[in-house]
Amino acid sequence: MAQNTLTGKQIKANGLQFKKSMVIMWTMVKKNVKNQYRRSVLGIFWTVLNPLLTMLVMAFVFSNIFGRGDINMDYPVYVLSGNIVFGLMRTATVTSLPCMVNNYDLLTKTRVPYFVFPASNVVSSLVNFGFSLIALIIVMLIRIPAGVEFHWTLLMIIVWLPSIFLFSLGISLALCSIYVRFRDIKHFYNVFLTLWMYLTPVFYAPSLLNSTVRKVLFVNPMYHYLDYFRSLIIGVVPSWQTHVLVYAIGIVTMLLGWLVFKSQRKSFIIYI
Amino acid sequence: MEDKIVLPEQNITLPFEEDDNLLVDVHDVSIKFRMPTERIDNLKEYAIKFLKHQIKYNDFWAVKNVSLQVKRGESLALIGRNGAGKSTLLRMIAGILEPTEGYIETKGNMVPLLKLGAGFDMDATGRENIFLNGAMLGFSKKEMMKKYDSIVEFSELQKFMNVPLKNYSQGMLSRLGFSIAVDVHPDVLLVDEILGVGDVPFNRKCSKKIHELKDEGATFIVVSHSMAAVKDLCNNAIWLKDGSINMTGTVDDVVAAYLKECNSL
Repeated sequence: MAQNTLTGKQIKANGLQFKKSMVIMWTMVKKNVKNQYRRSVLGIFWTVLNPLLTMLVMAFVFSNIFGRGDINMDYPVYVLSGNIVFGLMRTATVTSLPCMVNNYDLLTKTRVPYFVFPASNVVSSLVNFGFSLIALIIVMLIRIPAGVEFHWTLLMIIVWLPSIFLFSLGISLALCSIYVRFRDIKHFYNVFLTLWMYLTPVFYAPSLLNSTVRKVLFVNPMYHYLDYFRSLIIGVVPSWQTHVLVYAIGIVTMLLGWLVFKSQRKSFIIYI
Repeated sequence: MEDKIVLPEQNITLPFEEDDNLLVDVHDVSIKFRMPTERIDNLKEYAIKFLKHQIKYNDFWAVKNVSLQVKRGESLALIGRNGAGKSTLLRMIAGILEPTEGYIETKGNMVPLLKLGAGFDMDATGRENIFLNGAMLGFSKKEMMKKYDSIVEFSELQKFMNVPLKNYSQGMLSRLGFSIAVDVHPDVLLVDEILGVGDVPFNRKCSKKIHELKDEGATFIVVSHSMAAVKDLCNNAIWLKDGSINMTGTVDDVVAAYLKECNSL
């Protein structure tokens, strides 16, 4: 009987706890974004400048090699869009990886719900992505003479964003749990990320690849997220199948990540 | 004599009735830690050892079959030797650790003060950290705005609010941490060995503040090795030995028995 009354109370307590978690999460997100460029002269402008400069380098280096492939949009815009989408996932997961270990003090001494740590890193990378979008818009404005057009479909980014959020959060949850037990996962993941980036059409056209590698491309979730995002830039609304696909990938990854996270939850304090 | 359980008077008058003033109710709680005999922290080694069947675990019960109740306004001390499970029990009450067996019911706003300034961001200023730490304790920016002035005043660190925390001394850090912690006005405060910080005048101020909180009706659960502090602050005490309750009773009785055993060692 005592157990039954407990569950009722727990639901109420969980609601309060959730509100509290949100406050903590926002504070941590603000802290993350601020800390990134603290004490640099340009401060927050770096979040816009950074993708711009990367894009410049990549466009400069690759436009003659890859720029002539089957790319149906302006090459600098192509490179930048690829970069910021892949960067969103990369920043989210790389910063989340050590977050349990780094927040040891909070984990063992305060009652902060664990999921706040990876979640705040993923949200921070979403905020950064927002700044990167400004960079994208700047580049698109500059490239209007080269034939770049603005389409209303850009607004659909808001429909797309939750799917990649779920995907990144799923990976982050799994990675940060595994990292508590096995510290060498960091090195594996860094190598894996490099491979992953080259297998994602960030700066080349998929048609440049031979048919075997293109099959690999199709099972690469980032390819689908990128494809969706780029079709918004050129003014094409993705098919409903694409919507189902990106959300299915996002939700399944999130659930898998959550399972790993949940199974390891009790061991965090012991192994850190 | 030592194993005799002395119940506080409130418990005798209302033995089995649901009592709204019951803030912490711990039901027969145990926690098991499963520790690998040697620490393996990388996948490569784990895979090799796993294939060779060399991974062994030690099961360790840090707290075993502990029940206790704390009512509003009465404060409890947990005493015992190092490794007796005091801090583990406190962390279970705080909800940081989950018990392996049994369950814990708590009511009211509970604030764990297990380490001063847990989660301070050394790159941020004192001001920013007050809000950050407040959020960790569950307060929004708006709520912290109201507390801000009194926190700064109590810490006596007015001049340093815009200085990054990495330039603070250890004493200043503890003072800031303590000032945030005590300004929270919780129903239950879980305290782990942090009753006094800073220099002598500040230490006195801390002790005065803690008594003020107690007079306001705050309930304390204290883990401490300072018998003087425990006697000063608590009504009841529990003596933990190897994870189990060795003795429960009024603070004077339990402390006397505990000191007697310590002296006989």
